[in-house]
Parts: sequence; C-alpha cells; structure tokens
Amino acid sequence: MEEKEITVNIKKYNDKDGAFWKSYKLKADKYTQMTEVLRRIKSEQDPSLAYRASCHMAVCGSCSMKINGIPSLACRTIALQAVDEKNEINVESMDYYPGVRDLITDIDVFYDKMYKVMPRLIADESVLMGENEQRMTPENQTEVWKFQECIYCGLCVSACPSVKEDEQFLGPAAHAKGFRFVDDVRDTKRSERLDLLMDSAYRCTSCYMCYEVCPQDVQPVIAIKKTKNYLDQYKGNTPITIMARKHDDTVENLIETTGKIKESTLFLKTFGFGEAMRDAIDMLKSGKFKYAFEKDSNVKNMNEIKGMMGEKK
Amino acid sequence: MKVAYYPGCASHGIAKDVDIATQLIAKDLDLELMEVDDWNCCGGGFMDDKNEAVHASLNLRNLEKVEKMGYDKMATPCSVCLNSHKVAADKYENDPVLKEDVDQRLKDANMEEYDNGVESEHFIWVLIRDVGIENIRKHVKRPLSGLKVGTYYGCQLLRPSNVMGFESAFNPHSVMDLVAATGATPVAFPMKTACCGFPLMGSNPTVALKMANNILSSARNEGSEMLVHPCSLCHLQLDVTQDKIQRQFKQNWRLPALYITQLIGLSFGYTPKQLGMSRGSIEYLRSRGIS
Repeated sequence: MEEKEITVNIKKYNDKDGAFWKSYKLKADKYTQMTEVLRRIKSEQDPSLAYRASCHMAVCGSCSMKINGIPSLACRTIALQAVDEKNEINVESMDYYPGVRDLITDIDVFYDKMYKVMPRLIADESVLMGENEQRMTPENQTEVWKFQECIYCGLCVSACPSVKEDEQFLGPAAHAKGFRFVDDVRDTKRSERLDLLMDSAYRCTSCYMCYEVCPQDVQPVIAIKKTKNYLDQYKGNTPITIMARKHDDTVENLIETTGKIKESTLFLKTFGFGEAMRDAIDMLKSGKFKYAFEKDSNVKNMNEIKGMMGEKK
Repeated sequence: MKVAYYPGCASHGIAKDVDIATQLIAKDLDLELMEVDDWNCCGGGFMDDKNEAVHASLNLRNLEKVEKMGYDKMATPCSVCLNSHKVAADKYENDPVLKEDVDQRLKDANMEEYDNGVESEHFIWVLIRDVGIENIRKHVKRPLSGLKVGTYYGCQLLRPSNVMGFESAFNPHSVMDLVAATGATPVAFPMKTACCGFPLMGSNPTVALKMANNILSSARNEGSEMLVHPCSLCHLQLDVTQDKIQRQFKQNWRLPALYITQLIGLSFGYTPKQLGMSRGSIEYLRSRGIS
C-alpha cells in the first residue's frame, strides 16, 4: 500500500501553557483515519497528546474536533483526503465548549441542553399499565426517524452561531431531539414540549450550519422549522414568539394578498410605528429612504397564489 | 446571452440598489436579463416555517414560469431567494409525501405538475461560469487597486452544500475571485461564512445585531476597508442597519458594505451614485478617490 508522509499540526492546550501549535510527521495510506493518526502520534511521538476516540465508526460521537477548520468526526475523516497541497492537516478542539486539554473539551453544556427538552417518550398511562399497545404508522415513523439519529457528538452546537450569542437558545441537537417527540403520535406531552421549544425555535437563524456539520444527517434546522410549523397550536406567549407571530403572519398575509413582500408594511407591522420610524430615519440619513417606497406590481394571477396557499396547516 | 432573472422582493423594494447594480453590469457583459413572468415571493426563510408544502409550491410556481419562458436556468441576485428555490426543488424531488401535497396545490391553482427541469443559480455563479472571470476583467475600466475588500459569503449561498453545490461550504472562493477581477485586494476573514443575523430581525433583533456586528468586526480586524456580500437581505442587515449596530454597541466606526455587483460596477466605471449606494459608502469611496 502506497504511503505518504504528512504533517499534522495540532493545537494543544493545557491550563498552565494555554494554547499552542505543535507539528508531527508520520506516514499514512489511503485508508488511514484521523483517529488512527492521533493514536500513532500519541503512542509513537507524544504520550502527552490528549484526545477522545472510542468506537472509530461514527457511532459514539466522542472524536469531535475541527479538522482544517471544519467541525468533523476524526474517525470519519481520511487523512490523505484532508491534507492540503503541502500534505499538511490542522487539527483543533471544537469551538464553543471550554477546553480541558488538547483536543478534549467539556461538553456538559451540550448535555444540559439535551436534558432540558425531556428527551424520552412519555406514553399514555394505559400503555404503561399494559392495557394498550403503542403503535405508529410507517409515515409517522418516517417523519421522526431522522431526528432521533443524533449520536451526541456536539458538533452542531459547537458550530452554531446563535448558541454562541444567545444562552436561551437550546441549540440544534436539543431541538432535533425535542421535535422527534413533538411529532411522535405515541407521546402525550406535545403541548408541554411546545412550551419548551417554541420560544427557542425562533432564536435559530436557519443558517444550515448544523445541517452541514452533522455526521449523521440529522438536519436539526429542519426539526426547528417543523417546530415553528406548530406556532398556531402553541398557546403560550413570550416576547420572541409574539414578535415572530406578528412578523410571520404579516409575511403570509402579504403573500396571500399581493403575492410579494412589501418591506415598509412588514417593518411597520412587525416592529410597530416607533421602531419603524427609527429605521426610516436611518434610511433617510443613508440616502436610501427612496427605496422604502419602491412600488412593485402585485402578482397578476393571484388565483394561482390563493389556490396554492389553500387551507392553512 | 439571455438569462431568466428572478429579482426577489427585496431587490425590487428596499434593496433596490442590488437590482440597479445587477442590471447595469449585466448590460455591459451582454447578459440579457429576462425577468420571470408574473413572479411571486419565494417566502425564503419564513414560509417553510409556516408550511413546507406552501413554501415549495410558491417556489415551483416561479420555476414553472421560467420553464414556460423556454429557459432551463433562473438567476437571482439574492442568496435567500436562491436557497429557497433550490431547497424547494430538492424537497419536491426527494420527499414523496411533500410532492403529493404540492402537486395537489398546483392542481388547485390550475397549474400543471412541475417536472423539476429548471436549475436555480445565483447571479455570481452565472458571472463566474457563463461570463468568465477573464471576460469580466476585460470590462474593468477603473481598476480598484489598493482597496482592501472583505469577502463575505454568508450562509444561504453555501449551505446545505449537498443542495447548493457550487463551492465548498467552508472554503468558498467565488466572491474572492470576483473581487480580484476588479483589481481590488480580496480579504478573507474568519466569519466569512457565518450568518449575518438577518433571519432573526423579525423575532430576536438584539441577537441579530450582535451577529451582524461579529461579521463586520471580523472583516475589519483582518484589515478590510469595506465588505462585499452576495445577498439582498445581507445587504439590508449589513448596510443601513449599521446605524443600529453603532447605537447598540456604542461604536464609532462603520465598514461600508456593498453588494458584489456594486463593486464590479465601480470597476466598470459607474459612479457610486449610479450604483445606488448608501451615503456612507459614497463618502468613503470619495475619500479613496473613487467617485
């Protein structure tokens, strides 16, 4: 098997010295996983290197790290596919979580967020007493299946821009887990779950970063969007959901009545007169106020739009 | 070359300057932009939060109009509109349950079943793939030498990469290549692919502004004098909204934020005013001898 010499630059970290880069050279062939690369470095060159890796087959989620800046599982990354033109690879610990040592981070915050969404099926009492069976249709199973595939690797949360700025956002993984039960017909706590999830759902930017980095294709952002589909069934009110409701209803009404969005109406109805006026002053100062009143034609064939929008879900 | 063109609501409204610049440079590059007949809002970023099937139907209506116009490609200057159309077409192709619902809605609207034959593209993909960087370079009358420009991509242009598909979600270079073609110096910065926060403006504006500030600060810290981006909605968030950011974070600096075709337009010899730029951008460019 042909082997190539590669250079692995690892961002090491400890409490005493802080963070620093250290380089290692070793040979790899086309099957060498990054977990194997790290094992060889630790056993042959640097016993102090600290990293986590258990299953080596993308099931345990323990070897999460950044490889060439991309949040990845080391076991799913083939070294020779990751090298740059100089045959080098940069390896760092995940963002967001506090560092423990080298590539090991403390992901308690991840588990805390998972715990908050009641990550277990809460069945009807009669099922628990053995008086009834618990059944779901294949269609229902298909709907929730994807969202239960999480391996708790923590990559999505480490990569999420909103989690970093907003402590109240539960984060992608917890939302996927939470929604998996919202949409499970066997669960009895939909209303309580929506109370837990709805405000947080509107703290997601829909930037698809979680979708991109998830090694299991869980697509947490889709779970968040599907949670928002239940806004009409959510009975609570928080400042975030009140504003989101105003905004989304206005968008929907504008599309229903004109086929397009008129930003001046949207601003006014979402933010209210005071804030809309402050925005108008900013527009005026920037010389762009004239664009606020751009009049685009409505869709001519509104029957097509109305036919498609049909009955609300 | 004729291209079906979907401007999107913002580019025909509050981000009109995006449309102005796109139209101007398209003309110079012999791209005839054929506006999609009777197009509707794509509902990008919001409508799928309400109802996925309605969202997909709205987008497929536009794509069907393009098909009827005789084109197999639709270009848009807005990353959110692009993402919306591509995600909708992808779901329609791969989710049989959603497809059934969408087909019924199209039927209710007296429309035909859509055969998924139109590819949505960003206008900058057309510039790179169909026009070509060399060709763009030939049209540069005023090289923007010495101008350091932060190259921002945002989220919707790149992710999910299995649907968007044009370039790497983590190491993109399209905007950088276009900036280099103008003679300016492209500046990569750590947050070039992060979200600008615009999607949160309708629910959580405090965090939305923090995210916008992160982008601007990251570009500035790497030495950018201005920033270019590829999206009508990023334009709203990063351009005029900077006044709000300055107030919220008590900042005394601004980073002029331009749509990428506005920068290209400058290099083609158009004035900042002709390109519809903000007063702040006009003043900064004047201070650099560009007016």
